[in-house]
Parts: sequence; structure tokens; C-alpha cells
Amino acid sequence: MRDDPGVTALVKRARDGDQEAWNALVDRFAPLVWSVCRRHDLSRADAEEAGSNVWLRLVEGLGSLREPAALPGWLVTVTRRECLRVVSGRRGQVLVADDRFPGEDGLAADAEVLKQEQYLALREAFAGLSDRCRRLLTLLFSEPRPSYTEISDRLDMRVGGIGPTRLRCLDALRRSAPLAPYVTAPEA
Amino acid sequence: MAEQWESDEELLADLRAALQAEAEVPAWFSETGKAALEWRGLDGELATLTEDSATTAPAGARAEPASLRSLTFTGREVTIGIEVDADELHGQIAPPRAGEIEVRPRRGPVRRLPVDELGWFAIRPKPAGAFRLCFTSAGGHVVLTEWTTV
Repeated sequence: MRDDPGVTALVKRARDGDQEAWNALVDRFAPLVWSVCRRHDLSRADAEEAGSNVWLRLVEGLGSLREPAALPGWLVTVTRRECLRVVSGRRGQVLVADDRFPGEDGLAADAEVLKQEQYLALREAFAGLSDRCRRLLTLLFSEPRPSYTEISDRLDMRVGGIGPTRLRCLDALRRSAPLAPYVTAPEA
Repeated sequence: MAEQWESDEELLADLRAALQAEAEVPAWFSETGKAALEWRGLDGELATLTEDSATTAPAGARAEPASLRSLTFTGREVTIGIEVDADELHGQIAPPRAGEIEVRPRRGPVRRLPVDELGWFAIRPKPAGAFRLCFTSAGGHVVLTEWTTV
């Protein structure tokens, strides 16, 4: 994943104690931390303990973080370890003491990390779409999927306009900066 | 890099999964994370768990009821070791120094206990649920452990 100037700026501000910037970082990465916790099937108390320690380590590590691009990989690794640890109070697991921020290549092969990075990029790309696109796409994948007539009513859009708008929105998504690493540039 | 999404359907499916992962995060989970920045304001040294006998003992030995669980929290300058008894904790600050130790549970009142010149302290009864220890030396140096449960 490329270095995100937005994340770099948030990390700098959070390092100086800016609560708003820290909240934005937590909102951005909480789905990643949570999805890893969920996979370990923890109770609420255990998830709270594991999650707390992940954020605590991140707060502590903000000063030494050089590559925000390595953050998703680091978070997945630390969360896995914290989850195993809360479970290991009861059962045996191996502790890994090393939680320095790794370079990008050290974790590049990890499928979970790659997926989480992709999800982050998708959420960011989606947030950058127009309001109209976000509403249309949200309706298109809601369950049960509303009919085109319903969508037309809800968005005040001609039925005939839904298809082309959908195409335009997906095109905008593919061409957005956050998805650039995942999409081949169109032939000139 | 190869095109990740061959079709719009694949792109939509992944987008949907990504947004769903975000919607599934419980509010309390995010709140816990946001509160973490306050801990930085304590301006102390963070001691992270580096050894836990419950996780390092060989498989056969763990069931021994007589063996005490011991945990070690390591900070930059100070190490806090604790042994877990049936109903109490014994701890030591290394290198030894006197001061005060606080038991901070996630909910409920904070307990303050003395630490003697040899760095020893005892916590009775042992904390129920997750807690952190906060050691303040006589000289005012603060060391805070991660969350743990014993």
C-alpha cells in the first residue's frame, strides 16, 4: 500500500495529543482490528482487553512510526497476538515479544493484511464519491435489493438513468486515488 | 499490477464487504480505542507483558495446580513481576525501589498500595477482571502496565 498523506498527517497530530486526529485514526482502523478479534471468537470482555492493548501499543508507538503504509500489517499482527494472549491466560500459546513496526515487505505476503488494506482503500474511495453515487451504490447492495422503480423514487432519478449512473459511479470508484494500486491504468 | 476486479459485480461485492466490516464494529469497541489517547497524557513508561508462565510452560506442566502463574511486564527502565496466588498477587519492582502501586480496574475504584524498599508489594484480594498496574516511585517516576487479567 502506498503511503497515505492523510494517515501521515493524522499520525503527526495524534502524536502531539490531538484527540480528533486520534479518533479519526481509530475510526479508520477499528474495522480491521475488530475483524481480527472476531475471528478469534472472544467474549466482549476479552475483545475489550485485547483491543485496548492494541490501541495502547499504537499510542505508545506513534512516535516511532516511520511508515504509515506499514500500519495495517502491524495492526493485524499485534491484534492477532493480543487476541491469542487473552485466550492464553487459559490455554497455551507462544508469546512473540517483537512488536516493532515492520517494514512493508516483511508482511506483504500475508493474505489477511492484503485484504484489510484493500478494504481500507475501498472504504476511502467510497467516502470520496459524490453523495448521489454513495446513495445509489448503497441501495444497489442492500438486502433485499430494491427494484429499479423503488430506487428511482428514493433517489429522484429516472429508471433509465440508473444503469448509466451506476456505471459512472463504479468508474469514478475505479479511477479514485485510493484504488490506484489495485487498478490497471486504462489504455491511452 | 493486474486488474483486481474483472467485473463490476466483483467490485461491488468487495465494496459491500468493506463497508459491512465497518458497520459491524460495535460502538464500545471504537470508544475503548479513542480513550487510549488519554493514557498517553499520564506521561509514564509503558510496561508490556514479556513473559507469562501460562503461555510459556510446557504443555504437561501447565495443569500443575501448585505452580504459580507469573507475569513479567517490561518497560524501558523498570520491570514489574507478579505472581498469582489463589486469592492474592505478589509483585516486585526491578531494579528495586520504593513507592506506591495502583490497581486500576476497567470499572470500579482504584486501589493504592505501598511498595517497600525492596520493591515488594502485595495485592489482596486479587483483581477480578481486567486491570492495569501503575507504579509511582518515591522519586515520581511512573510506570504503567498494559491491561491484563489474572
